[in-house]
Amino acid sequence: MKKMMIVLTLAALVAFAGQAFAHSPLMSCFDNGDNTVTCEGGFSDGSSASGVKMHIKDGDGKAILETKMNEDSECTFDKPAGTYMVIFDAGEGHTVEMNGADIVE
Amino acid sequence: MKKRFIPLLTAFCVLAVVGSAFAHFMVVYTPEIALDEGQALDMRILFSHPAEAGHMMNMGGIEEFYVVKQRGDAQAKKVDLKKYLKEITWKNPHSSAPAFSALIPKKEVRSMGDYVFVMKPGYYFEKEEGLYMQQITKLILNVGGIPGNWAEPVGLPCEIVPLIKPYGIWTGNVFKAQVLSSGKPVAGAEVEVEYMSHMPNLKTNSMPEKSSVEYPHDAFVTQTIFSDSNGYISFGVPKAGWWGFAALGVGPEKEYKGKELGQDAVIWVKAEDMK
Repeated sequence: MKKMMIVLTLAALVAFAGQAFAHSPLMSCFDNGDNTVTCEGGFSDGSSASGVKMHIKDGDGKAILETKMNEDSECTFDKPAGTYMVIFDAGEGHTVEMNGADIVE
Repeated sequence: MKKRFIPLLTAFCVLAVVGSAFAHFMVVYTPEIALDEGQALDMRILFSHPAEAGHMMNMGGIEEFYVVKQRGDAQAKKVDLKKYLKEITWKNPHSSAPAFSALIPKKEVRSMGDYVFVMKPGYYFEKEEGLYMQQITKLILNVGGIPGNWAEPVGLPCEIVPLIKPYGIWTGNVFKAQVLSSGKPVAGAEVEVEYMSHMPNLKTNSMPEKSSVEYPHDAFVTQTIFSDSNGYISFGVPKAGWWGFAALGVGPEKEYKGKELGQDAVIWVKAEDMK
């Protein structure tokens, strides 16, 4: 019975954690015009994206930069020279990808 | 003879009052308030009776025009927008008056999040009633779907604070909000509601003569609701488009230049049909 309770509690915890992600990840990026790019992230329920992983990859999918969203849910990096992708990675099913070609001023 | 005259006079007075009972509405307008991404905004600010493309009034200039923006739970930022104001003439079918346009560049509306626009006009003297009016107006816009401060009071002398995202209203939703004066709920506030039945044309700076609504009776042109004992108002939104709410005389300032002042709180929201 006690084991059952623990399992149930765990199940509830998992369910609640799942619910906390019942929001969509959102990101927008801008070319700052000074060879830097700023990305802003967040979630549709307004919760913070601070600490969310950011992957910047080149055209071949090779990592250029691995970083994180700062406390303001922002991330600024040097604009890669060639084609690139920005990936906002808040976990499985919660990623947003943006093609560098779509990042404009 | 004299006694007979009194009811006539009374009727005449009632008629006169009825005649001037159109709701005054400061309009702060831009065509879309739910934007996918940041962009420049074309805004207009005018003072009229929007349900009837009615009489245009001179708002007495603009004292304050700014935006308080917030993305998620990041720090809210206040940005003054007065430098973008340009005086124009707004023409309605039967009258025109000075109004304002504001072209807000993309740099001010770049980030995702909420944008709470606040416009505090000057003072308008209503000759017929011998009093001044000032309608402090809010318009709340969102970029990219990340909410921010839409439900937060700005801290205005008087304001209507929504309890439903004001840029995400379906037709048939209930618009719920709280009327505040100096930050405190106003019980029993009289709130007028109007539908923008003559859509503003930003190219010609005018409202068309033709209404999108047939009003069966005057009571439908300006609907009246009251706030409850905690200052809350509720209004079922019957039609897609723009709805204005004006809480009358709730502001703390009651006198201007030795005359009575009605300081009102206005908010505009937009409803969309489910398709």
